Amino acid sequence: MPMLRGFLTLLLFLILGEGLRFMFSWPVSGGVIGMLLLTSWLMLTGGASDALANASQQLISILILLIMPGVVGVFFLGDRFDGQWTAVVVGLIAGTFLSVLTTLLVLRRLISKQPAGERCD
Amino acid sequence: MTEFLQRLGHTLPHLQQSPALSVLLTLIAYFVAVAVFRKLRQPVWCPPVLLAGLLLAAMLWLGSISYPNYQAGATWLTFLLGPATVALGVPLYQQFHHVRALWKPILVTIPLAATVAVIYALAIAWALGGSSEVLASLAPKSVTAPIAIGINQQIGGSVSLLMGGLLVTGVVASLFVDWLASRLGITDDRLIGLTLGINGHAIGTVRAFEISAQAGAFSSLGMGLTGIFTALTLPIALQLLNIL
Repeated sequence: MPMLRGFLTLLLFLILGEGLRFMFSWPVSGGVIGMLLLTSWLMLTGGASDALANASQQLISILILLIMPGVVGVFFLGDRFDGQWTAVVVGLIAGTFLSVLTTLLVLRRLISKQPAGERCD
Repeated sequence: MTEFLQRLGHTLPHLQQSPALSVLLTLIAYFVAVAVFRKLRQPVWCPPVLLAGLLLAAMLWLGSISYPNYQAGATWLTFLLGPATVALGVPLYQQFHHVRALWKPILVTIPLAATVAVIYALAIAWALGGSSEVLASLAPKSVTAPIAIGINQQIGGSVSLLMGGLLVTGVVASLFVDWLASRLGITDDRLIGLTLGINGHAIGTVRAFEISAQAGAFSSLGMGLTGIFTALTLPIALQLLNIL
């Protein structure tokens, strides 16, 4: 039951986000708007109920299960992207290598400038 | 007897009409993959999602179940990505004190890293002859799946290619963070966690939780903020550039 009550809250914010997205034709998905609304709501009201925290944690812990039906589609693309696989694979791997390197260097530079007191959280 | 054999032949097609078979196969692949992953002592190069995807593809192929058929049944699972996106707001709220403590580096790094992640990948893919459909499919590659699918609905491209891109990005980001962090002498779990979440979305975050709870918390934060930033800016940026 508590799990369902949390799920109800999530669905309410999802519908609210999707409704706003449609009404104002925002280029962002209803889920993202719902997430931002939920975060703001929690900051205003000062906390997530156990039911909501539970339901959220359960859903997030099965994210991999939820993306599997989409992921497996890549094995059934057939010849639709023939001749472009080099672009796809090199773009993904080299692009990710460069962005990981950039992120690490930028963060190291910025965080090492923080006072020592703030470093040990 | 012949009538029974005939019915036997029609059993699998009949079962395919209900979502139960799709959901069942997905769950089997998921649990087997998680068990194998633990048996192999959690290798970075082979996360459960990769194992599960291969296993599921093999099962569909062996059962000669077509992908659109499977996908129709699996909408029972993929629907939950909507509420799961909203659910990401809860850890975001819970970790908000981290944002406050490190707000400057985080606020500078996330827009920068999320932007260059898109630019690097698209520039390389474009230089190697990727079509505009390929580029649109790869653009949200560093964003967590539920948000990436939302972006995909806005900017177009192939969902299957996007999901494959997410898989590759998550796996190689985890590998590169491990390798580069030790090369650069970076040992701060907060920094490693943020980098995993920014570049490797949910797959990187699962990896970060294997390192430490603190790395996991920072990774969730990096994943959430990267997702929000990309969702808010990418569709508008592409609209402005009008390149797609």
